[in-house]
Amino acid sequence: MHRQVTPFALVLALGLGSAGLGLAQDSSKEAPAEIQLPPPPSHWKAAQPVGTSAGPVTAEMLAVPSTPPDRWIQYLGNWRGFRHSPLRTLTPESVKKLTVAWALPTGTTGQFEASPVVYGGVMYVTSSYNRLFALDAKTGELLWRYDHKNGENLRLCCGPPNRGVGIAGDLVVMGTLDAWLLAFDRKTGEIAWKVQVADYTKGYSITSAPLVVNDLAIIGVAGGEYGVRGFFDAYEVKTGKQVWRHYTVPGKGEPGADTWAGTSYERGGSPAWTTGNYDPETDTLFWTTGNPGPDWDGDVRLGDNLYSDSVLALDPKTGAMKWYFQFTPHDVWDYDGNTQLFLIDTKYDGAPRKLLVQANRNGFFYVLDRTNGKFLRATPYLEQVNWATIDPSGRPVVNPDAMPKEDAKHRTCPSNLGGMNGSFSGAFNPDLGLVFIPSSEACQVYSKGIGAYQEGLPYLGGLPDTVDATAGKAYGNLAAIDVATGKVKWRYRDNRPMMSGTLSTAGGVVFAGTLEGEALAFDAKTGKVVWRFRAGGGVRSQPIAYQLDGRTYVAIPTGSFTALDSFAAGVTRVPEGGTLFVFALPK
Amino acid sequence: MRRLGAARAVLALAAVALGCHGAAPAREPVAPPESPAQKYLRDPAAVERGHKIFIGTCGAYCHSTQNVERDAPSLFDCEWKHGGSDQQIHDVIANGVPGTRMPGWGQALPQGDDDVWRVVAYLRSASTCPAK
Repeated sequence: MHRQVTPFALVLALGLGSAGLGLAQDSSKEAPAEIQLPPPPSHWKAAQPVGTSAGPVTAEMLAVPSTPPDRWIQYLGNWRGFRHSPLRTLTPESVKKLTVAWALPTGTTGQFEASPVVYGGVMYVTSSYNRLFALDAKTGELLWRYDHKNGENLRLCCGPPNRGVGIAGDLVVMGTLDAWLLAFDRKTGEIAWKVQVADYTKGYSITSAPLVVNDLAIIGVAGGEYGVRGFFDAYEVKTGKQVWRHYTVPGKGEPGADTWAGTSYERGGSPAWTTGNYDPETDTLFWTTGNPGPDWDGDVRLGDNLYSDSVLALDPKTGAMKWYFQFTPHDVWDYDGNTQLFLIDTKYDGAPRKLLVQANRNGFFYVLDRTNGKFLRATPYLEQVNWATIDPSGRPVVNPDAMPKEDAKHRTCPSNLGGMNGSFSGAFNPDLGLVFIPSSEACQVYSKGIGAYQEGLPYLGGLPDTVDATAGKAYGNLAAIDVATGKVKWRYRDNRPMMSGTLSTAGGVVFAGTLEGEALAFDAKTGKVVWRFRAGGGVRSQPIAYQLDGRTYVAIPTGSFTALDSFAAGVTRVPEGGTLFVFALPK
Repeated sequence: MRRLGAARAVLALAAVALGCHGAAPAREPVAPPESPAQKYLRDPAAVERGHKIFIGTCGAYCHSTQNVERDAPSLFDCEWKHGGSDQQIHDVIANGVPGTRMPGWGQALPQGDDDVWRVVAYLRSASTCPAK
């Protein structure tokens, strides 16, 4: 579905060139009129070191529960995944005064899904197709830039996004669509090291932001629609040396292999395409996994298909697994388990407890004990969930009508894009005890077929018929969910699926956006819209806030991917094109 | 399609001309050998298997399951970019089309060439050709 130049397009271009060369013999053919200018460079380094007012990013900086307001140094805001700014200046009243401070076009199409990182007064933001920009976070001045030259004919299921960088020491680290990991000197833009994580022609890609835990950068791969063997890796931040790899699908004879019929684990998918979390108190890394392959034909992989659609708890030093919990055993709907995790310490049933909370793509809001993986509760957070109920052990009781069939007619909810989805983030306001979850309300009819496997090609075994989207019935919500009860406190409804990330502020605001091209701010207590800005492009990004020299800024990348939007919500007329908007409160 | 029709007309005229001269001995018309797709078209189970393969392999990301053009062409409108005989359709499925994003599936389908022919049979069964 990606829109890069394909070999086919290349052949066409060469063909036109030949026609032009033949002009002397055949005056009916036209010469190419466009003047071919020399290609621009792809790497602009800083003229002078930038961000020098701040020292290296340390593990202690990453470990603090609430990051100081002059920085945003993790994709999820903190290791706990809160995406909650400590800024009290962003209130339901003050946000009405937000105005555009500066903006930046990325020059790329496809969804602009990044969470910017801000440190030392410099913003580091990645666009679709892996452009990396370093910008003055106050003025937007471009300081350095790198345009990655991805390989041709990328293996992308769902567009060309990148969700951001990790930052550690004096390096920023970016994964690429052609499955490389690159580290840059944050002050100059020089490449410090690069490693090939996987051979992308086998079906792999990287779209997520690395998670930095102590001296490691941890990154997982996408590829669940290509029958890959999913994994995530840890690399030494300083050198790029690989420290460990954790496969999400067992090999022959390994624990869990008997949950796959025959040798189906060899094409078992279960990618690890989102950013994980880390709990320093228990020294536990949490990582989630996606769908088993093939997506919709489970007959060839009978069994629970471990460790697909799961959360894994691991030792970050070795990658060894401590425990796992599988949300959707034997998934045949593409309900990846890798939506955002929240590590929340709160009272549960009257006693303090370390919780792991997730609005899963399968439509249920899960609460686990993160010290041992014990299932505590699952409640629907969508308005439409009919594929299963959850039994007291946490295992789904599947509605037989919802199973994909050759002659499928049942309208099954949620869609394969889920309620929530790993490509966008929620947020948690610890003062209110509310988690804010954007979601899609769109059901589908799931058909099952016979999927033929070839390395590097889609391996699907069926398809979802987007009946709601086609009929114009797909819509979305931003829901505020009370962690204590699992109940929805308020919902904001949009007439298209809500597929932007969110940002919560200590001042009581939630930022999000719509596919129709509006950035929105909500009163966190009531869900009332308190600010809106017509960005033009659909919002698929993860907003952030920061404060420099006493001025408060909110950054919201905009720009969506028409093909995916149309799949999710029905044909869209909103044009593509990435633009980063940075808003500011008056001084 | 018009070109094919014109070619048939020329052949028919040629046959008539030969007949008028009476020089060639009269022969019984010989039907071309039946393609495996035609055999499978009479077997509902084979057509259904072709349908399953289409749903599971061809129709999710690339070709539409209905008569709709995507990046990949519709396969239900009887417009064949690379030849419309059973054998030509088979060859495109089995070998792919160089220079395009259509890969060959001859070695990948579970029952090999037989499955390729079942897909051809399914496409024939599900196509809606415009009236001539």
